[in-house]
Amino acid sequence: MRTALAIGIVAVLGLMTAMPASGAEWGTLKGQFVFEGKPPIAPPAKITKDKACCGKHHVVDESLLVNPDNRGIQNIIVYLYTGSKKKVNVPVHPSFAKTANADVPLANDKCRFAPHVVLLRTTQILVISNTDPIGHNTKIDTFNNAAINYTIASGGSLKHQFKKPEKLPARVSCSIHPWMIGWVLIRDLPYMAVTDKDGKFEIKNLPVGKWTFMFWQEKAGYVDQVVVGGKKANWKIGRKRGQKEITIKAGDNDLGVIQISPALFNR
Amino acid sequence: MITSRRIPANRASEPIRLIQYAARPVDSRSDRGAFQRPVPWRLQYFIVMGGLMILVGSAAGCGTPKPQFEPNLAFMRYQKLAESRADFDDPELREQIDDIEHAVQWLFGTPDAPKLPEFDATELNHFLDLDRLKRSAGPVGGDLAEQTGGLYRQHCARCHGINGSGTGLMAGLLKPYPRDFRRGVFKFKRTSSQVPPTRQDMMRTIERGIPGTAMPSFAELSEEDRLALVQYVQYLSIRGELERFLIVEVAMELDEGERLVSWATREQNPDRFEEEVGWLREVASEPMRRWAEAASHVTHVPEPPEDWRSETSVSRGKALFFTTLTNCAACHGDTALGDGQTDDYGDWAKEFEPGKPAALRDYLALGALPPYKSQPRNLRLGVYRGGEDR
Repeated sequence: MRTALAIGIVAVLGLMTAMPASGAEWGTLKGQFVFEGKPPIAPPAKITKDKACCGKHHVVDESLLVNPDNRGIQNIIVYLYTGSKKKVNVPVHPSFAKTANADVPLANDKCRFAPHVVLLRTTQILVISNTDPIGHNTKIDTFNNAAINYTIASGGSLKHQFKKPEKLPARVSCSIHPWMIGWVLIRDLPYMAVTDKDGKFEIKNLPVGKWTFMFWQEKAGYVDQVVVGGKKANWKIGRKRGQKEITIKAGDNDLGVIQISPALFNR
Repeated sequence: MITSRRIPANRASEPIRLIQYAARPVDSRSDRGAFQRPVPWRLQYFIVMGGLMILVGSAAGCGTPKPQFEPNLAFMRYQKLAESRADFDDPELREQIDDIEHAVQWLFGTPDAPKLPEFDATELNHFLDLDRLKRSAGPVGGDLAEQTGGLYRQHCARCHGINGSGTGLMAGLLKPYPRDFRRGVFKFKRTSSQVPPTRQDMMRTIERGIPGTAMPSFAELSEEDRLALVQYVQYLSIRGELERFLIVEVAMELDEGERLVSWATREQNPDRFEEEVGWLREVASEPMRRWAEAASHVTHVPEPPEDWRSETSVSRGKALFFTTLTNCAACHGDTALGDGQTDDYGDWAKEFEPGKPAALRDYLALGALPPYKSQPRNLRLGVYRGGEDR
């Protein structure tokens, strides 16, 4: 009897510790970033080299992409930020296990980096390819990891793993074609997202609880001065800009429409 | 324990130089374009300071202000600690910047009195030799035989700056600019990419100089002096790398009201203070370790094959020169005149955001040199930087 009770208690305790994986304890963070004002039209990139090949692709300056239909801002990067000074334990949903060692593509394609923003985990492998008929080099200026700079022949590809997380997205560039700029965010946690062409983002399966999130865009830097629900907000913790504490509840956590004034992109 | 001039207790009586720097109004210089070096900021500063020195000297009897390691304001701007020069006036930011500078000084001392931290990992305590650093540090001792210090200021500082920023008084006249040691990145070395050079690599550089640049040969100095200088450059690099690291920490890691190291309350809360400085030593050990272990990352360059001048080899090289695998011609040009791609800024310039005029004005005022675009080597000049020929 006593043994049975003990087994019962152990079983219940076991179940309780396994609870976070049961689905109810995970939430989704989403939101939409919108440009406050007339949507700017992305200017054509200055094609200074290999005009015959790159000139025909109508490459644009991708540093600020605003959707003319709904003013959604593309390529704002959102991620759960844990910092490096204090150890924060963030449970990772089991669904991320299957992509933990996946290949993540970054192509030199039609004289631009595709995708423009790569989200990469420290366990994943970055596969850099060149599908253009011309040569490219891919230079990634990381801070914590050793930076890389590879030339990639037409039709070639290579693999690279960054083993340490980076605090901020690292710039990707091609020295031969200076207009080619991309970004890669390297994190140990899978909780990161980039806004789509409508300015929308979604991070699924976040553990419930209070977490710090970082908001960053290549032209604005830290996304701190915003308008949410008609009210001005400054996303900042102490001196840490672009950071905001958000309590994740089970289910959907919608930040709604977040407006950004044009001034943020001109500082 | 702390003998430095810049401890919080007596800080109030001392003008905070970096703030004076930052708070200067934008003057007409900004309209002259990025490629013209105007009256150096520093020069104005020296004129003012020179005046002050005379005043102070006549009032107090003697004394020149001891040179300081200037804070890396440009990198603070880049890390968005401040987004304009006016932002540097924020008293809270001043405190944070002082915390950074104080932390670096606590571990590495001053230009006149270098120090070295004591690490738990004892193998790191022998990489740099304090006696050699002292031989390089300090004011120039004159040409007397018993000169015991000042080698760096005598031979290096005019171009590389007191703190190794590469922005000494002469720097703006040189192209390429003198190296900024504080990034810990060096060119002429045998170690793998992203690993610092070995001591031997640097000895080679100062012995030979770097042909094709303003860097002269210091072969006339004794080997002991050269070694003292190489160690001092390594010291400035490690110090500068730590400073950069701490700047990022302040920009991205500190919570509301939190300080990097709580110098002011060290006596009230000694446990916390010990924990903080323990952390400080630990993060300082990282750049020190990279340098100390560089020698184990030396790559092997095979001897050229005997037939490298043969027609077959040359024509194979010619074909490779134009492939998309090597992309040589893309930058060095089809005829190797260095006229291929000339529209990209180098790594050094990119940290000054040359594409953003307002930001660039700040960087220039904060001590950066006007950025220029990288210039691929003209391979037909016969001078290869760092090459064998002197």
